[in-house]
Amino acid sequence: MSQTTVVTAAKEPSLWGGGRSPYNVSYGKMMTWFFLLSDALTFGAFLISYGTTRFFSAVWPDANEVFKAFPFLGEHEVPLLFVSLMTFILIMSSVTMVLAVHAGHYGDKKKVAFWLLWTIIGGICFLSCQAWEWTHLHGECGGLWGSFTDVNTPVEQFRRFFGHKSLPFVDAHPLIAMQSTHNFFNYFFTITGFHGGHVTSGVIFNILILVNTVNGVYERRGHYEMVEKIGLYWHFVDLVWVFVFTCFYLL
Amino acid sequence: MSTHHNQDSVQHYYEGDQSKLYSGIMQHHTDINSEESKGQVKRIWKIFWILLVITVVEVIMGMFFSHSMPKGLVNFFFLALTLLKAGYIVAVFMHLGDEFKGFIVTVLIPLVLFVWFIIAFLADGGFWLHMNTDSPARQTIEHVAK
Repeated sequence: MSQTTVVTAAKEPSLWGGGRSPYNVSYGKMMTWFFLLSDALTFGAFLISYGTTRFFSAVWPDANEVFKAFPFLGEHEVPLLFVSLMTFILIMSSVTMVLAVHAGHYGDKKKVAFWLLWTIIGGICFLSCQAWEWTHLHGECGGLWGSFTDVNTPVEQFRRFFGHKSLPFVDAHPLIAMQSTHNFFNYFFTITGFHGGHVTSGVIFNILILVNTVNGVYERRGHYEMVEKIGLYWHFVDLVWVFVFTCFYLL
Repeated sequence: MSTHHNQDSVQHYYEGDQSKLYSGIMQHHTDINSEESKGQVKRIWKIFWILLVITVVEVIMGMFFSHSMPKGLVNFFFLALTLLKAGYIVAVFMHLGDEFKGFIVTVLIPLVLFVWFIIAFLADGGFWLHMNTDSPARQTIEHVAK
């Protein structure tokens, strides 16, 4: 087989004749996809378990009541504004990541480094927002996991997390409402914590590939596929946030 | 000399770093200022604006309409918009839309399991609530217990 036929064969999605990947993707990239698939199942299991608990609860905290604080605004109530800012930051960092991947396709070292740097900054901004939100909710609940377990807790401490339609039920059955509040915050800290862990490792990966890019590792290798693979991971983290955002803040 | 010793031959890539074959570096991607490249960047920013607008619509619905509209309808919109956002991220940002059809199917088919997971678990949660609150069985048990 001459060299030219091999090159042509690698481009055409015709019958597979061996000698190349049938899907035209490298081993590493394909395995990145399968890793992300397994990670999607993990996050899916978390969110479905959250949904199940919510379905068997007679009453559930209202996101508009729980998430209405914003840094430096004090007592002003701005439901969902802060989480919208977080979502915007993460979408933005996804765009800068895909621009870095794009620059990698063209072997443009400077632009890859430039966009990776912005992606890292976006990731750190998102994590800072999450740290603020956790600190705020820590103050609201008096803890992270395992809050609202004492049966003598006065109803006022968790009544403010519920929408006005639920309040008659909350007042009639404070213990059921307290159990729901307890479940809500446990799931919230577990799932956003697991997601935040992914963002943290994504930022670390991005820093590593930024250092490699600047040092010319990928230039010598002849391609920027590592940027592409880390990019897949980063977009996946953004993707998970899209679902976390819907499940916790909207539905 | 045989092609094995030619650094630029395709054979060399097969025996060494295969990623070179598939990473687009051999598909004449050289000039980042070319029209093709500019078109791709334009598409990325277009998707960004779509994602932003969808998110803003979701937040506005969540803030102002979630209590005045039927809950089922609002949730349907939220889920539809979420899936739309996810689709754009996966197809364009993760470039899955540019892969071979066989690969797209390979990645997406296992996710069909979620359809069953979600239906089964949520239905179980709802049934548990029913059994625990307003089912006749519960009232009988409470009656017996008294």
